[in-house]
Parts: sequence; C-alpha cells; structure tokens
Amino acid sequence: MKKIIEIEHLTKEYKEKKAIDDLSFNVYEGEILGLLGPNGSGKSTTINCILSLLNFQKGSIQIFGQEMTPSSYEIKKEIGVVFQEVAVFEELTVYENIDYFCGLYIKNKEQRKQLIEDAIQLVGLEQYKKFYPKQLSGGLLRRLNIACGIAHKPKLIFFDEPTVAVDPQSRNNILSGIETLRKNGATIIYTTHYMEEVEIICDRVMILDHGKIIASGTISELKKLTQIEEKVTVEILGLLEKEINKMKELQNVIDVNYQNGLLIITYKKGENNLPKLMEYFKKNKINYQKIYSERPTLNDVFLELTGKELRD
Amino acid sequence: MINMFFHNLKYTFKIIFKSKSLIFWTFAFPIILGTMFSFAFSDIEKKEQFEIIDIAVVNNPLKENEIWNTFLKELSKENENQILNIQYTDLKQATEWLEQEKISGILNLDSEEVLIVKKNGINETILKFAMEEMKQTETLLKTIIESPEEKQMLFQQNRNKLFENIEKIRQETTNSIKDISTNNMSYTMIEYYTLIAMTCLYGGLLGMIALQKDLANMGSVGKRSSISPTTKKTMILSSMVASYIIQIIGISLLFFYTIFILQVDYGNHFFLVILLTIIGCLTGLALGIFLASALKASENTKTGILLAVTMFGCFLSGMMGITMKYVVDKNIPFLNQINPANLITDGFYALYYYDTTERFYKNVVSLILITILLIGTSIIFLRRQTYDNL
Repeated sequence: MKKIIEIEHLTKEYKEKKAIDDLSFNVYEGEILGLLGPNGSGKSTTINCILSLLNFQKGSIQIFGQEMTPSSYEIKKEIGVVFQEVAVFEELTVYENIDYFCGLYIKNKEQRKQLIEDAIQLVGLEQYKKFYPKQLSGGLLRRLNIACGIAHKPKLIFFDEPTVAVDPQSRNNILSGIETLRKNGATIIYTTHYMEEVEIICDRVMILDHGKIIASGTISELKKLTQIEEKVTVEILGLLEKEINKMKELQNVIDVNYQNGLLIITYKKGENNLPKLMEYFKKNKINYQKIYSERPTLNDVFLELTGKELRD
Repeated sequence: MINMFFHNLKYTFKIIFKSKSLIFWTFAFPIILGTMFSFAFSDIEKKEQFEIIDIAVVNNPLKENEIWNTFLKELSKENENQILNIQYTDLKQATEWLEQEKISGILNLDSEEVLIVKKNGINETILKFAMEEMKQTETLLKTIIESPEEKQMLFQQNRNKLFENIEKIRQETTNSIKDISTNNMSYTMIEYYTLIAMTCLYGGLLGMIALQKDLANMGSVGKRSSISPTTKKTMILSSMVASYIIQIIGISLLFFYTIFILQVDYGNHFFLVILLTIIGCLTGLALGIFLASALKASENTKTGILLAVTMFGCFLSGMMGITMKYVVDKNIPFLNQINPANLITDGFYALYYYDTTERFYKNVVSLILITILLIGTSIIFLRRQTYDNL
C-alpha cells in the first residue's frame, strides 16, 4: 500500500515536557486512521507538526513522499484541514466563507464554483448558502467548518474532533460525508473523543497517551489486546456485599462492580456466561430488572491501556 | 499568485466593511468626535476672542536690544492691531504681578528663559508664539545686519527700509497671532489636527484585524490560511493593501465632512496636508502590523492596546487641550518626537504657522523613520513560519 504520510521519531518538547515522544507511524492511501487519546495526549500537536505549523526538535515528516516544510506549497495544495475550533469569518456568508478558503487553493473561478457547490451538497448546507455563521446552529456551523476545509477536494484530510458538540443529525451527516470523501479517494486522519465514531468509520486506530503510541491496529486487533471478552450489565436493587463477593468466584469472572443499582460483571471468556448468570440469580432468589451482554468496546481497550476514560 | 492576491484583497475588503466595530472606530468615531469638537469649541472660541495681553518686561530691552525693543513697540502700539500691553519694571515686581495674575507673562531678556508664564492658557500660548516669532526674526535680522552690504543698505544708509522689513515681519507676526483667535486659524485647529492623527493611527486596527486572519498563531482562521498553498507574503501584502485603501477612504470621508460640513479650513498647503495624511495612515498601518505580529494576545486585548496607545498619543499632542502639547514639548520633548500622533499634529501645525516647510518635513521624515522601524521589526516576527506553540 502506498504511504501518504511517513513519520519517523517525531519529538516535540515544551521546555521539559515532551508533548510528542519519539513518534513513528505511517498513513496509507485511502485509509481512515483514527487518532485516539485523552486531552493533552499529543493528538493536535502531532497534526500541527505534520502541517508544519509547529516546529519540533527531532524527527522527519514526509507527505506524498516529500519532506514537509512550511514552504511545501505543492504538498499543501493536496491537504485539507478541519480544525477543532470553528475557523470561519463572521462577516461572510456560508457561500463566501467556502469561496474564500477554496480560493486560496483554486484559481479558476468556474472550477471553484463547482467545487463549492459540491462541498455544500456534501455537508447538506444547500438551504443556508446566504446565511451568516451567527445564524447557524452549532451543528450547521460545524458542517460549514468542514466544507471550508475540504471544498478544494484534497487528497489528504485532517479532521480534528469535527463532531464536538453537534446534534445527532449533524453528526450522522458529518460521518457520512467523511465516508463519501474516502470513497472519492481521500486519505483521512481523524481524531475524536467518541469511540463509537471511530468504530464506525476508522480502518485503523492509534491510541496516544503522553505523546506516545500505546496501541495501534485495526479495531478488532485492538480489542484483542484486552482480557475482557464479555461484559454483562444487570439492573438490580439492594445487592449485598457478601452476594457480590460470591459472584466474583463464578467461572470466567474477572471483576464485579456494583454502583447505583447497576451491576457490571466482566468475563475473560465469552461463552454461555449470560445463561449461567441468570441461572445463578434464579437459584439464589436474586431479583433483577434488566440484564444484557456486550462485547468489549474500544472504550474498554482504552480504559485498560491508559487507565482513564477517553473523555477525562 | 496575482489571482490569490486579488482574491484575498477582495475578501479583506468584504470582511472589514462588514465589521461593525472596525467601521465604527475608523469611520464613524472620528466624524462623531469632529462634530463634537465643532459644537464644543466654536462656542468657546466666540467667548475667547482675542484680548490685549498684559505683560511685564524686565531690564528694558530698549537699552540693550534694539530689535526686540522695536518689536515690542510695534506689538504694543495702541491701534487695532495692538497685541501687547507692556509694563516695564524689575523682576521682583513683575513676579509679584504674575503671582497676582495681573499679567500673563514676564519677558526677561537677561534670563535664559526669556518668557516666564504662570499657567497655560490662550494668552500664554499666544505669548509663546509671539516670542518664537521674535526670536526667529531676531536671528534673521542679525544675519542681515552682520552682512556689510546689508548693513550699509538696510541699517545705516536706509533705516526706513529696515523698518519696512520690520513692519513686514511685524505684520506677519501680528497676523499669525491674530489669526489664532479667528476662524481661519483657531487654536482648536490643533483639535482637528489631532483628530486626523487619531484617524490615521486608528487605521492600524484595520491592518491588525486583516493580518490576524493570515497568521497561524492568531487563531483558527489564521491556521487555516497558513496551511493553504498561498504564500504568507501574498496574503499579508494583499491584506495590508486592502486595509490601507480602506484607511484612505475613511480619512477622505473625514476630510470631506470637516471641510464641507464643519467648514474647517486646512489652509493653503492642501497637497502637503494630503501628503502628511497619507504618510500618517501608513504609520498607523505599521503600528497595527507591529502590534498584531509582536504581541501574543487576544484580538480584543490588541485592539484595546492600539486604541489606548493612539488616544494617549493624541492626548499628549493636544487633543484634550493644546496645553498638554506644550507641556510635553517643554519637559519631555523626546516623547513627542517619537509620538506619531504628535508628529502628524505638529506637521499640520507647522504648515499653518510657518512660512517655511522645514519643520513640516522634519515631522514627515520622523514619521517615515518610525514607519520603517515598525515595519522592519514586524517583518522579523512575520518571517516566522512555524511556532513553538499555538
């Protein structure tokens, strides 16, 4: 597979703190790479270094086989970025905002006109072309932010948490738009706090913490990293301590956690655990309301690898 | 890159023209302030019609300095052009009168400080002008008299001709002093000069805001522009050209308004007035670029700093009263020599008060040097392509 980005031993330090610590990875053509990590893990710093916005102490960055520098204008032509913060002009309409940013890449007015229309269609802002950013909801504003970043049809796109604080409709629109961009041949680097998004759209995931890669691979590869194979959640009231301790001795159980009427039992092997547990409740006359079983999620992997929730 | 230049130029125009706060500070505020000056000072001027100024002269210059004496005689002659009412006395008595405010000033040719005033008011200001004129004339006449040919012609053989010269200078001096209290040349003109200076410097806001959108360390829009293939040089240049054009439009509106609506007369050197304004606008733009590139602060903070610096500069150059200009000129002259607002104000002032343009061009050169310094320093900051943090 063709390498679009090659990063070797990238190190970025702020005084004595390493924001990125000897980072090496590749991004391949046509893939969506998910960058996961808690706040301050180095995701945005990595992107800013790749884009030559931030300087760094060590390492090399190659994009499309060429070294990336601030004056790599030919490379920049093929890059699109959707920043975490909405980067648009309050004084310009939706159409004008997209035209302004697209115009920094595309000289030809006719070509630009078509590209703007395509971008507006992709993010579903057809009815809002003449609206000013102040007149848009948070979700629509995020969509405009995306349109401004991708209107010139770049081959490599960075999405830095594009769905923060958006409504479900806009989120679905954004995610389907990203899928469309990939289908059209773009390579995408996607950072987010939302595990479910990563599971939906990313081909490969890299988990960063303290500026280092702590795990990387496809979603199924990552899930194998955790001991947990099954997680059973039970809504149950008034469970006693001795009953909880007894459950810890059940077959395949790794851990039992009971808080606020919710019992969570994690198993290391995932076969027939649920029927056996229901049988156990029946036998011990323990009444429960709801019971359901889940396979481990990326969040479980993340929690196990970093010791903290992704949204911490 | 030409396409990108004009693309950014077009949108910088749009962004600035649609920014209400920018338009207020650079277009509306000077016009509002000008209108307020017009209302406030026209009334004051009516009340402050020129009066004969009482002064005391110690060590009667008649004995020692014929030139000064001739001047004083002419200025105190009892006719419609009389400016001074002179009482000759000793320093002690004169000081007593000054303390009692019976006189506005003491003229003492034996002292290094020829003119002593107690306070700063219109009379004192006029006295200062008059003394400056006399000093200049004294130097001129001394030069003429020291030349043998001139001495022969003007002083010894043709005394009348010398007096004609003195009369001519006296007329000019008297006229320019008298003009201070007329509508043609009022001391409130200083207010209008500082108003123009303020507008020129407020133009820096346009440059500052326009530049912010091109710099990655100034916000997300700047980041987005920085990762585009359009060069930083093209972006900054076109943003500055757009800002400058808008600044010129704004100052033209102010001139139009003050000349045609408020009936302000900017004098006979209108082209030089325009030249100074154009340079002043460039200095304002340079100040905006400097603040935008050198300071790592929020847009609001930078705007506040620019407004404060400009207003303070205008205050020192006499916007809230001409007295301040003279206080600074007298006590901290260096401050006014590096204060762009004062250089612009003083440039206009020099055009109005002096027949020669020497002082005017001195101000112009100082402004150009400050502009070069600001832009040069800004370039050092703007050359940065990557940042330590964002």
